[in-house]
Amino acid sequence: MMRKSRRLIILGLLVTAVMSAILLGTVSAEEPPTTDAQISRIRTNCSAVKNTLTQLHVNDALLRVNRGQLYESIATKLMSSFNSRVSGNSLDASGLVIITSSYNNTLNTFRTDYQAYEIQLSAALRIDCTKEPVAFYDSVAAARTKRTQVHNDVLALNQSIDDYQGAFTTFATNFTISTGGGSSQ
Amino acid sequence: MNENEESVEQQDIGFWSQHRFLILIGASIVVALILVGISMALYTSSGAAQLDLSRPGYQAVTGQADNTSSDFASYPSSGKLDTTAINDFRTLYSTQANSAKAVDAFGGDPLDPDALGISAP
Repeated sequence: MMRKSRRLIILGLLVTAVMSAILLGTVSAEEPPTTDAQISRIRTNCSAVKNTLTQLHVNDALLRVNRGQLYESIATKLMSSFNSRVSGNSLDASGLVIITSSYNNTLNTFRTDYQAYEIQLSAALRIDCTKEPVAFYDSVAAARTKRTQVHNDVLALNQSIDDYQGAFTTFATNFTISTGGGSSQ
Repeated sequence: MNENEESVEQQDIGFWSQHRFLILIGASIVVALILVGISMALYTSSGAAQLDLSRPGYQAVTGQADNTSSDFASYPSSGKLDTTAINDFRTLYSTQANSAKAVDAFGGDPLDPDALGISAP
């Protein structure tokens, strides 16, 4: 019995080691290795890359301001106002309120994620890519991941906007049926 | 109190009264620096810095901040709800929803190493 259990433990450890090696291999395959040739390329293109990143930094800031204002206005001027009006007329706005709440949460996440992305991109821009090409590469890679997250937040906001529109259509249909095209009062 | 103690006290009073204007200026500067430090910390941590297009380096796009897209009339939050009110909301919401979804904000992949020219050759 003891021998059997020892064998099982050894076998388990071997399987774990092999699986870990495979997984680590997969992860390292996703991260491109920073070879000498690549380091040389980063140094050569340093100035051009910095210019591109600076321009992207400025354009993204403008995009954040413009999109942010619009998203904020949709929440405050349309969703919340309509929900209040529906509630004020003693009608059920719970479906609309839930979507509005989800939209506001996503909007907060969007703000936080953009802030993290901007800080990361600023940090990348501060690195001298001729002296620290590897750190620069890693910093840009981190900024890329955070920018993707911001894009995902935008997609989630768009989805919430669509969800609210769907819930509103359902509400409007039910309202028309229940009132016969008249008013609630 | 003997004469020596009186003379030391007079010297102390003399020092503060002689330099009170400089001390006032110094204290004012210290208070101002502390308040500026607190303000800058709040400015950075609150995310306001990211929205401030008047920062150095952003002058080129300062004028491009678009106030018109978000400057639409607010839907009245009170009043009778009838078919007209619902149709008004439908029109207003559809316009803004389409405007929000018209731009694929932060889409694409401009930070792709291949696009930046820093990938492995």
